[in-house]
Amino acid sequence: MRTPIFERSERVSRPFRNQLRPAERVFNWVLLMLVFLIMILPMLNVLAISFSSNTASQVADVTLWPKEFSTEGYTFIWNARNLGQAFKNSSFVSVVGTFFTVIISAMAGYVLIQRELPFRKAIATGVLITMMIPGDLTLVSIFSLNKSLGLIDSYLGLILNGLVSAFSIMLMRNYFLSVPESLSESARIDNASELRIFFSIYLPLSLPGLAAITFLDFIGKWNSFMIPLIITTKPELFTLPIILRQLTQPTDSTSGVLQVYDNARMAAIVITVIPLLLLYSLAQRFLIGGLTLGASKG
Amino acid sequence: MSTVARPDRAARKRLFRKMRQYRAIYLMIVPVFVYFAVFTFYPLGLGVVQSFQRVRLIGAPVYIGTDNYAFVLNDPIFILSMRNSIVVGTVSLFINLAVSLVLAISINEIRNRFAKSLIQTVTFLPYLFSWTVVGGMWLQILAHNGMVNNLLAALGLERLPFFTSSAWGRPVILFTNAWKQAGYFIVLYLASIVSIDPTLYEAARIDGASRMKQIRYIILPQAWPTVKTLLVLGATGVLRNFDQVLMMNRPATKDSIRTLLLYIYEEGITKLKIGTATAAATIVMLLTLVITVVVRRIARYEQDASY
Repeated sequence: MRTPIFERSERVSRPFRNQLRPAERVFNWVLLMLVFLIMILPMLNVLAISFSSNTASQVADVTLWPKEFSTEGYTFIWNARNLGQAFKNSSFVSVVGTFFTVIISAMAGYVLIQRELPFRKAIATGVLITMMIPGDLTLVSIFSLNKSLGLIDSYLGLILNGLVSAFSIMLMRNYFLSVPESLSESARIDNASELRIFFSIYLPLSLPGLAAITFLDFIGKWNSFMIPLIITTKPELFTLPIILRQLTQPTDSTSGVLQVYDNARMAAIVITVIPLLLLYSLAQRFLIGGLTLGASKG
Repeated sequence: MSTVARPDRAARKRLFRKMRQYRAIYLMIVPVFVYFAVFTFYPLGLGVVQSFQRVRLIGAPVYIGTDNYAFVLNDPIFILSMRNSIVVGTVSLFINLAVSLVLAISINEIRNRFAKSLIQTVTFLPYLFSWTVVGGMWLQILAHNGMVNNLLAALGLERLPFFTSSAWGRPVILFTNAWKQAGYFIVLYLASIVSIDPTLYEAARIDGASRMKQIRYIILPQAWPTVKTLLVLGATGVLRNFDQVLMMNRPATKDSIRTLLLYIYEEGITKLKIGTATAAATIVMLLTLVITVVVRRIARYEQDASY
């Protein structure tokens, strides 16, 4: 029930009028607080366990702070379970792969914005069609293909599979489209070659786009699970996701030579996400921009 | 005849000249097509061919007609996987779409900028993590000795068998899926909500509409196209859950959550039964195509036709 006096007092505070009613606001805050806890508590728990001692990490308790602070989980997992090697593998494969993916996507994206290019529509359709093909469903044939190409258990295989992504190409194309055409027109009048226009006009003006696909592709490669799962058998070539999976397999902890304590398991998870957290804090803007543009026009 | 052919030939000449002029441009797309030919289209074709064959260890594969398809369609595990994939995949997609829409609207109402960016960051982070990470986290947290059960025990309640009872298989998968994916949808919803023309709110305010009314009549309709887009994008992934289930299945929960991709993986890679695995993959591919087309129809979704 509203009294006229209340009405008037609301009109006075006009800039804040466009808000929920107090009760609704309280409800909203409670809801979001709950969501916040559901999101943050698991992360804190994992972090706390990873910094607890071997024995303390096994004790049944609600842990949000390290118990018997220790880094033995980290040293154990880094050395004894070869996480160090996996970290190097993941870094190498992701960095090299991302480098080439970005170059290829930028070039292909540039091709797709050439308005007068003969057969441009056919080329664009060819790229778009691959987005409709659920690549992961062909995993058995991908395995056969890699076997016949001799890519099983090789860095080249880990880099080549997934090197070209139609999503990144379309994203790059969308960024290039926002470059004013008058710039390339005047360069063309000055007889600049297409490659020159690409390198000196389009690339420098699309740095946010390049940043976005660099980060998105890196994350995709860092997290890649199915490809290493089907094309690697040698432990020296395992990437982080493969090690993480082994660590959480119930058979592994009982039949393995060394027991893996919970702190080591969680340490492996923390180590795996550190690069992603760094990336997010550095490049949040580009990531979100790329994702938003990708979903709206991809 | 020559009078008809001449402009034709001239046009062709112009086309060739144009193509020569764009030589460098064509070269730039060559790697893409080589890659797609080898790593996308060849496996696609190979899979279809292999689905009609029995691959032997020695000698050439034999053509066996539709035997593999008959085997797969009569395999109770395939049928089970199909049912799981459809049910869990669909329910999961709708939960994620709904939960994140509510949260996006809810976050949009916060005026405190710090709180707003904090909750956005925290919900978005798991989207950046792989399923090996998120799965590993929740295997720990929901374990018999994990945080959730310890909390229940501390409150004097009974511990719950999250991974040792088939009844908990699907709820755990649905919850962790929303936990990981909601942040991504929230970002996209917020992008569409933020771009709403402020004069709409202004007009509604002058008409005396409360904020709840504005949410109902301005924000929801404006965010609806994004819901549709995400529905269409998500529909193509309904039958393709693999990472999560491979990570999080346990003997007790496996049958309630095993998906089609897990079936294909176990047949093809673990048991090396290439024929049945590719037959299953072909069936799933066709099914995905049907689902995509149907959902597009239902959502009356028009793709950006400017390519």
